[in-house]
Amino acid sequence: MQNSQATVLAAENVKMTFNTDTSEEVTAISNIGFELKQGEILGIVGPSGCGKTTLFNIIAGLQAPTAGTILVNGNRVQDASGHVGYMLQKDLLLPWRSVIDNVILGLQVRGIAAKESKTIAQNLINAYGLKGFEQAYPSALSGGMRQRVAFMRTLAFSPDVILLDEPFSALDSQTRLLLQADVMRIIRERNCSVVLVTHDVGEAITMCDRIVVITSRPGRVKSVHTIGIDPALRHPLKIRKQARFNELYEMIWDELGIQFAA
Amino acid sequence: MSIPETGATAVSATSTPKARRRGFSVFGVRVLAYQIILFVGFLALWEYAIRAQWLPVYLYGQPSGIWRELVKGVQSGALVHDTWITAQETIIGFIIGSVTGSIAGLGLWLSPTTAAILRPLMVALNGLPKIALAPLIVVWFGVGMESKVAIAAIITFIVAMLTSFAGSQEVDSDYIRMMKSLGASRLQTFRMVVVPGTVPWIASAFRLNIGFAMIGAVVGEYISAEAGLGHHVYYSGTLYNLNAVWGGIFALMILALILDAMVGWVERRMKWR
Ligand SMILES: Nc1ncnc2c1ncn2[C@@H]1O[C@H](COP(=O)(O)OP(=O)(O)OP(=O)(O)O)[C@@H](O)[C@H]1O
Ligand SMILES: [Mg+2]
Repeated sequence: MQNSQATVLAAENVKMTFNTDTSEEVTAISNIGFELKQGEILGIVGPSGCGKTTLFNIIAGLQAPTAGTILVNGNRVQDASGHVGYMLQKDLLLPWRSVIDNVILGLQVRGIAAKESKTIAQNLINAYGLKGFEQAYPSALSGGMRQRVAFMRTLAFSPDVILLDEPFSALDSQTRLLLQADVMRIIRERNCSVVLVTHDVGEAITMCDRIVVITSRPGRVKSVHTIGIDPALRHPLKIRKQARFNELYEMIWDELGIQFAA
Repeated sequence: MSIPETGATAVSATSTPKARRRGFSVFGVRVLAYQIILFVGFLALWEYAIRAQWLPVYLYGQPSGIWRELVKGVQSGALVHDTWITAQETIIGFIIGSVTGSIAGLGLWLSPTTAAILRPLMVALNGLPKIALAPLIVVWFGVGMESKVAIAAIITFIVAMLTSFAGSQEVDSDYIRMMKSLGASRLQTFRMVVVPGTVPWIASAFRLNIGFAMIGAVVGEYISAEAGLGHHVYYSGTLYNLNAVWGGIFALMILALILDAMVGWVERRMKWR
């Protein structure tokens, strides 16, 4: 949809094979390829165990792929170097740090002066609905708030690419809808480039510009769908009234469903 | 990250802080009244049993005699001196062993190879009743205070090292993954996640260790010493002066309560939450 934009992330023929204890090789993913444009939200859906987390670990540089390459802004990813922001299902807030000190974690790792990073964090906190909670500790926050803080920690160091691995799946459905809407708004405002992994097909259609469907293990790209719904209509509650939403929803479920039967 | 409760909640006479804060409830007063009645009744029965010559005093001692021993010990300063010696041995050994042990255990996180090499030794030390090392240490360090400090330090070192290493290994690997994805070096991950994440374990080790340090010091004094409460208790025992033995045990109890309260205060401040 935004083909004129620059490519920020490219995966080319990525393959990952694990050697398990039983000396049997497990190929988690094979021949995965896609591109992510600047400012795009790309969804990845696929059956459980198809290698989505493995793919993210490779993009973040936590694991080296067996074959293939990952390019971020045209540079090859070799190692974890903080070029991508990686947010997991668990919020992974440090319980001994206050909200603001959790948000600055990535900046601290980068050696940015305390004063500067606090300013950046405070601005995020003010802008995205946690004002007044900067000195609170994670144990005092609700699940939704904690995930919000984790998201701010990811935003704080302005990574080139943001990876979201089922970030809302641990939340109740109300909180989930609210957070989806907020995260979507923030991503658009800041023109972030995002890859979102989710089990929730509706969530993927709501939030993403394109969706990549992955087959069951070994994970390969089965199909790519362009959503093509006006971003203005993409509120989690409103979008469900669109004919296109239902069309995509059935199509993607079909593709996933066939794999379950096989 | 779970906070370990490595049995650190040893029996304490006082109830939980929460219960204490409630102040005197009717229930609390009644319990206290029964406790006093039982204790005084027990002492009275004991005293009577000795006076009526149901029990020989040289085997059991006698409350009034214990009281006289305590008063004499405090007035002459001998008991105070012995208590002070044992306290010093315990505290110095505790600090040396707990601090170096915690650092060593944490340090092993930085070097998995060293940790793997030392694993069999750690398993062996974990199973060993550490007090069994005491006679060796007395042979090496002599009859003075140094050997008691050394026993307390070595035992607490082992406990602190094993506990802090175990704690560092319990840090959720997703935190490590998250730090790596932020571009953190191993040392940064150590400083920002592993050390603070292990502090509650170290706090628990400190609580256990103050008891171990005292056992170490007293057993060292039993083996060979010229002063200290352990020496006092052992020496009085060989003379069948049971009142003096009870007096020494009473002093040990007071000392243990004071030291435990001090470490408990530190422990509570070390646990985030
Ligand atoms: N370190 C490893 N060693 C061996 N096998 C692994 C390893 N990591 C992942 N796998 C295997 O690779 C496959 C893909 O795992 P992965 O966690 O990437 O799947 P996923 O798509 O994220 O699953 P889910 O939807 O349940 O989160 C699984 O079959 C898993 O057992
Ligand atoms: Mg996964």
